[in-house]
Amino acid sequence: MSATAEVMTEHPAGELHHPGAATYLIVAAFLVALTVMEVTVFYVHALRPVLVPLLLVLSGAKFVLVAMFYMHLKYDGWLLSGIFIFPLIMATLLLLALVLLFAYLSHHLLITTPL
Amino acid sequence: MAAQPKPITIPQPSYLEGGGILSWLTTIDHKRVAVLYLASALIFLVFGGIEAMLIRIQLWSPDNHFITAATYNEMFTMHGTTMVFLVVMPLLLGAFGNFMIPLQIGARDVAFPRLNALSFWMALTAAIILHLGWIRGGLPNAGWFGYANLTERYYSPDLAVDWWVVGLLVSGTSTVLTGINFLTTIVTMRAPGMSYMRMPMFIWSLMITSILILLAFPPLTVGLIFLLLDRFFGTHFYVSTAGATPILWQHLFWLFGHPEVYIMALPAFGIISEIIPTNSRKPLFGYPMMAYSIVLIAFLSYGVWGHHMFATGMGPVADSAFAITSMLIAIPTGIKVFSWIATVWGGSLRMTTAFFFALGMVLEFTIGGLSGIMHASAPIDLQQTDSYFVVAHFHYVLFGGVMFAILGGFYYWWPKITGRTMSDGLGKLHFWLTVIGFNMTFFPMHFLGMWGMPRRTYTYGADLGWEGLNRLETVGAFILGIAFLVFYINIIRSLMSGEKAPADPWDGRTLEWSVASPPPAYNFATLPAIRGRDAWWSLKYGRAGSRGVAAYVSGQAPQLPEPEGPVDLSHVHMPAPSIFPLVISLGIGLMGLGLIVGYYRIIFIGAATAILSIIGMAFEYPGFGRETHDPEHAPSSGGIDVRKVGIWSFLGSECVFFASLISTFIVYKSRSIGHPGPEILEIPLTSFSTFILLMSSLLMVLALAATQRGDRRWEKIWLGGTVFFGLIFLGGQVYEFTHFYNEGMGYTTNLFSQSFFTLVGFHGAHVAIGVLWLSVLLVAAFMGKLGKSRALSLELAGLYWHFVDVVWIVIFTLVYLMQTVSGA
Repeated sequence: MSATAEVMTEHPAGELHHPGAATYLIVAAFLVALTVMEVTVFYVHALRPVLVPLLLVLSGAKFVLVAMFYMHLKYDGWLLSGIFIFPLIMATLLLLALVLLFAYLSHHLLITTPL
Repeated sequence: MAAQPKPITIPQPSYLEGGGILSWLTTIDHKRVAVLYLASALIFLVFGGIEAMLIRIQLWSPDNHFITAATYNEMFTMHGTTMVFLVVMPLLLGAFGNFMIPLQIGARDVAFPRLNALSFWMALTAAIILHLGWIRGGLPNAGWFGYANLTERYYSPDLAVDWWVVGLLVSGTSTVLTGINFLTTIVTMRAPGMSYMRMPMFIWSLMITSILILLAFPPLTVGLIFLLLDRFFGTHFYVSTAGATPILWQHLFWLFGHPEVYIMALPAFGIISEIIPTNSRKPLFGYPMMAYSIVLIAFLSYGVWGHHMFATGMGPVADSAFAITSMLIAIPTGIKVFSWIATVWGGSLRMTTAFFFALGMVLEFTIGGLSGIMHASAPIDLQQTDSYFVVAHFHYVLFGGVMFAILGGFYYWWPKITGRTMSDGLGKLHFWLTVIGFNMTFFPMHFLGMWGMPRRTYTYGADLGWEGLNRLETVGAFILGIAFLVFYINIIRSLMSGEKAPADPWDGRTLEWSVASPPPAYNFATLPAIRGRDAWWSLKYGRAGSRGVAAYVSGQAPQLPEPEGPVDLSHVHMPAPSIFPLVISLGIGLMGLGLIVGYYRIIFIGAATAILSIIGMAFEYPGFGRETHDPEHAPSSGGIDVRKVGIWSFLGSECVFFASLISTFIVYKSRSIGHPGPEILEIPLTSFSTFILLMSSLLMVLALAATQRGDRRWEKIWLGGTVFFGLIFLGGQVYEFTHFYNEGMGYTTNLFSQSFFTLVGFHGAHVAIGVLWLSVLLVAAFMGKLGKSRALSLELAGLYWHFVDVVWIVIFTLVYLMQTVSGA
């Protein structure tokens, strides 16, 4: 097996050739490094004030790496990216909206009754 | 009819001919599936109509007891549920959508014919489940929106809500499958030359509706799952005494519920946008703006759900935001109304029954739209909430808008579907009775609502002064009932003795009119090349913008060449029938039934039936993994394989599913009462699990790369490694869950535990499905049946696997690493 050989398969129009093993290994190295950084950030108390943005950036980077390289969105046509990214954006907005709406409720209304 | 341009007709049997009952049970032909939807929806329309009549009879006079209060609750619940899920959506999407999409885009079938059949049988299964309450436990009775916590076991102890929950879960899954199928079909299988801006407006509406389905149904699914868990497994997702809030249900339901209005309205707009240009003999006015309006309406509809919840007290900022988005949606809707009017203006009108219904729709829907703008204003809405004004509003939208369009679509497409004409005289009678009955029934509700009559009320006092208008409404409802009787008589008369319909009875503009009525099974002998918008019109008259009326009337219209001699169909490949969609649905139905009645053997039998049938369907045809679609559509007109578009659509929908679960976890994390809480989560173990899952993704892409270059040895090694790592991850999860249980954190201990286990458990279930999927492919690899030519099968499984990976990346961060961050 040639680890660095690019895969020369036939792809339909609109799709570029998928990357080879070398690219996949480099991405894996980044993923591991980012995960190590995430866990480190969790344990370093000095970083607690910026814990949320740091973790969001790191996990966002991991998400993008997997989607772009392993799921081949970087190489496939714009259409497939659009079909995935638009719902992803809508899902993110949904999550934010629900969290914010309930955060408002929690801070302005006392509707929780102990069991 | 002078100088009718002759469409290309081929003396081949129509899709309706041949085969007995078994051929209908196993059919995967989009046209036959559409007819199945049509027939079932017409039956359930009778159910829904009778339920409505019983409601109106009960409200005929004050202090009436024609039916009991309990029966009344069942009637209005089942009327709403039936009309939305079993009539309107099946007719718009299942019947008209299924029948017309391939015909209008110039394809031979939908992208996934067997999935299409599965959607129908699941929808029918859901409909049957929803009605099993007749036999045991009572019909659903908590309203079509099933507000929590009325639906909790404590307040609704019988089986009625159980039928409703399970029925809607099955129905929703069926609709999502339809959405994936339609989106993939429209995106990838359009005839050569049919660009997006050349698609018929009905296709535009269905494409955007499909996207909306993928975005809107997952929150409902999650909401229903929570309710199911509350009722069957003792969780407290909507129990306020446990710290939860029933408002969560309202958010999840209306996140579905308002887009659902447009899931029904957009196809209706599409139908009207077909009928009006054809009967005006003009191109649709403002085509680009009409298309963009559909997109904008769909986008905005996802951000207006809060206007159903002004009365819950969301706060001034949220109220203002939802009010603004709700008002904004009137702009693209107004564009559509003015474009329809402008299309009619100056046209050479043909006053067919379909056109009557289309014009009626424009008027009645506009009335409903105007009262809708009132609801967008929070202070006004607070006065109207839960009053009959709301009932008036949504019936003007859903009956005046959507049902009028459906009836117009019936008269417009019936000749194409059945090959028979309907009586125009009976059609006109049907129309006028509908207009009179509809307005007499629903317009007075505006006044009753403003006078304070609450919706869903069983009866009312004689001193309230509501009797007169209620009687008027009941008389109107009976006139409406007579109108539908005329409609059914027209249908039966057409089927029994209707004249044979020509291929192009309306001098149509779109491709479905270019084939015989009814069409042959394969639709098109040769896929048409599209030269412009209004494809069939431009083929007939040269150019889409040309009215062609003068030529048509004077008999000088160009004649299309008839094929000389028999047409060669040897290149046409149509997929074979399959019994598996029916059997899978049967298995799913048994699972639901077993759960509700508490016979777990039935659940097991149902699950085994469904799983074995799914595997059977995967290996149904010889040449597993080989391209089975029409070579003219492989990979597709868009250059991308249909299966890739399908799986990406599914993953897009899954994003919303997991977002709903994650947001619930975040919200309930800080509302949870007592211990344990997030501090119980162990980072070292989960970090290891995360590393394992990331590495499994690496092995997955290496397996794919090996397959793509034909390296069978490494294909098996990497694929086996992926499965192995997946199993390690699952083992870690089992260990973690067991550890938590031993530490005192059971599934129903508190809000934290139940939302944690549900979120992480659903992810684990996805991993398990992925492991099963990859294991099947691994077996295929060892049998030598994977290989380079079937790399796409592995790529599709890989996409699913990587998606599971990215979801875990999010869960690891938001659930585990942010455990010290307070929730909402």
